[in-house]
Amino acid sequence: MELLGIFDATLTGSLLRFATPILLAALGGLICERAGVFNIGLEGLMLAGAFGAVVGSYFGGSALAGVAAAVLSGVALAALLALFAVRLRGNEIVVGIAINLLASGLTVYLLRSIFGVKGAFQDPALVGLSTLRLPGIDGLPLLGPLLSGHTSVVYVALLLTVGVQVLLFRHVIGLRLRGVGEHAEAAMTLGVDVGRLRTAAILVSGALCGLAGAQLSLGNVTLFVENMSAGRGWIAVVAVMFGRAHPLGVFAACLLFGLTESLGFRLQGLQLPSQLTESLPYVVTLASLFVFRSRTSRG
Amino acid sequence: MSQHPPTAAFELQGITKRFGEVVANDAVDLSVDAGEIHGLIGENGAGKTTLMGVLYGIHRPDAGEIRVAGRRRRFDSPLDAIHAGLGMVHQHFMLFDSLTVAENVVFGAEPERYGLVDRAVAAKRVAELAERYGLEVETGALVGGLPVGVQQRVEILKALYRQAAVLVLDEPTAVLTPGEQEGLFRVLRSLAAEGTAIVFISHKLPEVLTLCDRTTVLRQGRVTGTVVTAQSSAEELSRLMVGRTVSAPKIEPHEPGETVLKIESLVVSGRGPDPAVDRVDLAVKAREIVGIAGVAGNGQSELAAAIAGLERPRSGRIRLGSAELTSLSVRERRAAGLACVPEDRDGTGLATAASVAENALMGFEGRPELAPRGVLDSAAIDRRAGDLVDQLRIRTAGVRAAAADLSGGNRQKLVVGRELAHDARLLLVEQPTRGVDLAAIELIHRALLDYSSGGGAVLLISAELGELLTLADRILVMLGGRIVGELARESATEERLGLLMAGGG
Amino acid sequence: MSALRELLGDLRGPLLAVGAAVLVGGAFVLATGHNPLLAYGAMLTGDLFATLSRAAPIVGMGVATAIAFRAGFFNLGGEGQLVLGGLAAATVALALPEGGLFTVVLSIGAAAVVGGLWAASAAFFEFRFRVPLLVSTLLLNYPARLLASYLVNHQLRDVDSGLPQTERIADGVQLARWGGSGRLHAGILLVLIVVLVVAFAIARTRAGYRLRMTGLNRRFAQAGGVDLRRLGTSVMFTSGAVAGLVGAVQVLGVHHRFIDNSLTQPLWAWTGLMVALLSGSRPLGVLLAGLFFAAVQTGGFAMERVTEVPRELSRVLQALIILFVAAKDRFRLALARTRRAD
Ligand SMILES: Nc1ncnc2c1ncn2[C@@H]1O[C@H](COP(=O)(O)OP(=O)(O)O)[C@@H](O)[C@H]1O
Ligand SMILES: [Mg+2]
Repeated sequence: MELLGIFDATLTGSLLRFATPILLAALGGLICERAGVFNIGLEGLMLAGAFGAVVGSYFGGSALAGVAAAVLSGVALAALLALFAVRLRGNEIVVGIAINLLASGLTVYLLRSIFGVKGAFQDPALVGLSTLRLPGIDGLPLLGPLLSGHTSVVYVALLLTVGVQVLLFRHVIGLRLRGVGEHAEAAMTLGVDVGRLRTAAILVSGALCGLAGAQLSLGNVTLFVENMSAGRGWIAVVAVMFGRAHPLGVFAACLLFGLTESLGFRLQGLQLPSQLTESLPYVVTLASLFVFRSRTSRG
Repeated sequence: MSQHPPTAAFELQGITKRFGEVVANDAVDLSVDAGEIHGLIGENGAGKTTLMGVLYGIHRPDAGEIRVAGRRRRFDSPLDAIHAGLGMVHQHFMLFDSLTVAENVVFGAEPERYGLVDRAVAAKRVAELAERYGLEVETGALVGGLPVGVQQRVEILKALYRQAAVLVLDEPTAVLTPGEQEGLFRVLRSLAAEGTAIVFISHKLPEVLTLCDRTTVLRQGRVTGTVVTAQSSAEELSRLMVGRTVSAPKIEPHEPGETVLKIESLVVSGRGPDPAVDRVDLAVKAREIVGIAGVAGNGQSELAAAIAGLERPRSGRIRLGSAELTSLSVRERRAAGLACVPEDRDGTGLATAASVAENALMGFEGRPELAPRGVLDSAAIDRRAGDLVDQLRIRTAGVRAAAADLSGGNRQKLVVGRELAHDARLLLVEQPTRGVDLAAIELIHRALLDYSSGGGAVLLISAELGELLTLADRILVMLGGRIVGELARESATEERLGLLMAGGG
Repeated sequence: MSALRELLGDLRGPLLAVGAAVLVGGAFVLATGHNPLLAYGAMLTGDLFATLSRAAPIVGMGVATAIAFRAGFFNLGGEGQLVLGGLAAATVALALPEGGLFTVVLSIGAAAVVGGLWAASAAFFEFRFRVPLLVSTLLLNYPARLLASYLVNHQLRDVDSGLPQTERIADGVQLARWGGSGRLHAGILLVLIVVLVVAFAIARTRAGYRLRMTGLNRRFAQAGGVDLRRLGTSVMFTSGAVAGLVGAVQVLGVHHRFIDNSLTQPLWAWTGLMVALLSGSRPLGVLLAGLFFAAVQTGGFAMERVTEVPRELSRVLQALIILFVAAKDRFRLALARTRRAD
């Protein structure tokens, strides 16, 4: 009974909130994966987005300005990734690692030169994302807190999941993207510009990760902390594998990882040491990976 | 429509293409008319694929010009060639396995509605096209699951969908069953009747003689003749192809010794539901070379991988002498007396970025004289590699040079030499002379024969019937993962083998 | 000359990358309203002893990563291996306060074993369940860090200090210190020895040969009889063991206790990884590149004292260098072209 008791409004209410940043980043990673780019820079792109969001919100005076700046930051860093990984044909894993380290160094550097602080930045002038109450659903037990009362970014993420599904499997661009990812040479001989499509995929993943960052720093909280992405970009990388690069599968994986995070959050309320509850998402992510892999390798 | 003017659909003049020091094409002229089926033949490595790559914008020629429908052209990419009305069915298909037939065909030129792929229109157009040329396909099927014969039809449809006036097929029959081959020929004839110019690449004479109007022969990058096929003969073409007769090595009469390799009802899984190797039994004796013939993709590679220990068989036994190999690791198999020349020279046979000496060391690094107490003795290692280089006349700047800097033939000699040096009881050899120059071929053949007469057992898997006929004491034929026939040296001919490979006989 | 090249690899790529990163970094400093010339000038005035003591963990973690990279295996888990190694060293040292060489060796050994096992578990997941090392090694960092953090906040906490740290380890278990106002310690020498041993092992031993060939072409090595699973597991163990040893060096030689975040905050593992990438995973190259990155970092501190530019500029520069290294072949090509055009 005690155990079941943790499935309360606190848990369900935080599920989508925690799942959203991972989901957005994973959708970006999924698009790259389909285009034949293994994007392990999601973590850095998300961090850049989180920082950009705070800068935009602080100087622009609105959450919208924050979101716009977040998307721009993600895209800008993604452009660097695309430049080095696609145009200059650098090893995508090395470039991805470098992008992650660059994002982490750059945000700390800028945190100090722009805001003059170390570690974290919090200010009354920061405008967070407001939450939306869905009429009709809001009052319902369990479903209400699950679906209602989230930031617009959460709802955008849900819509984007459907959007990516349609893009990939119905749209001309999606067809070409999948072709490029599966057999680049064949796509090239049919006149499809492989480099351009891959660059586009990376830029889109930058925008999505930027949005994910905005949810982190203006949605879940309203502040910026050094390295606040805290491995969520990597969890997104796993979500893409776990969901077999399929939007719905990836969505399910992200819900699972979001659930572990909100479970950890909820358990913290039960006086469990924070270090143990915080490691829950990583442990579950790892476990999911080998449960999934061992199943496919036998099947 | 049956009357077409005799204008050249395309012309190549003085095409020269070099890869480093290899001259793949040397001042080649070729002209093909609309409505003509033109054979392009030559031995492996003669330069056929390269020449068509130049025509199709894959390679930039070092000299020469290309004219299509009378106009001089310069192709920077295949796309330019497609726009000029060229279509190509590559030796290795350029298909997307996870997409449907229709999607593969329309890819890059999709019918769309509001940006979305209009699948109904795509399917309809492809079905119409298929219907018109008798190319039976199911437009909604996923390409990855289709037999190669059908995949080839999809490739042809791709070219037709883009309204190709010239269609190049690179060794299209290499992967086909006899029935599929008949179907392909019918399609090509009907295309030609509608005015399409067709280049048919092959190194098999009978099919060229039945199908082609004219035939151009390449030998070592040069044109040795263009003939009207009906007025020519297999003898003439074969003389043009080979030039000098390769001195067939002398085979001493010999008695095979005791059984070295014995395989019993071996089954190896394939990519699909059917096993790649299906209940194979075979035996190789000492002083015996046993050849395995078959159309590519009939289980030969999987059989070799199972013996080498790179693939785990589903069931069956592989015995080398008294050792049961199936449960052994690669190293244990080598210790039990196995050496392997793999099919994929640069992917498995070598580490091309490593030096010649390091490549020669693989598998020998455990020997105490080369690595006493686990520390490499580089002087001894270099000396040993130097001996190998001398013995096989490998042309290299030195044993410290990177293997990547060697030519294909010399890289192959390095692999063969290293594996021979194991003095193993069984030598498993796959495609030992693929893409290798004539001098190297002769040397490798000589080495294999010496190995066998020195007491070794050799299992030789080759796509070259000539090679099998020259070297093997017995030839087994694989089809659909099974051994479907066996011919002794005395009774084996190219025709009989061909018949068995095709499922006849 | 050619022997040197064999040990260090082609230096043109890394040097070009450094040059390009300095240029881009300078433009960046300018854009954030500072004077790049002043900043770089101040960077050059770093303190030698500080650089040396900083270089030890960087080079150590660089070698740890390089061992795996040379065999073609990813190890992004240096951080977790380092932390657990440090924690193990502290635990053993605190349990055996009598001190003496034996205790020091035991403490360092425990660190190496723990770090090695943590890394080898990722290899186990890879070979048993096909979980990619790239992801598993990275994800294992978080539980390792959090576990260490939990322990120093609870069971192992020095309650009197009021800080998340263990008690101070006895003098007898600390590594010897000499000169440089106490910043030079025996651990630096130990790391140097590890570098030399690893360099020798990779270049000159049978195991090193198998490791190199596996790194160059995995299928080739497998077909030649190298047992990928065994090699991979021992490579990952060794890689993690070196990382664990570095943790012990920092704990026994510098902090003299395990302090929460003290091994992760300075980003030793990540700097080491960058050093491995910059040097093409050649141990002696790692030594050079590690000294260079250490100098850049101490330069960063000097720069921060003299100018307004935050010292994190060095982190930006390092990451930029790696970006350019990734594309170095392209740069070399471009350079060759311009030279031919001259
Ligand atoms: N991309 C390439 N790089 C280097 N050498 C090549 C390349 N393609 C072909 N060659 C060489 O050119 C020669 C002709 O090859 P190819 O045109 O494939 O012959 P064919 O198709 O007649 O068998 C061979 O010696 C081959 O090794
Ligand atoms: Mg060819």
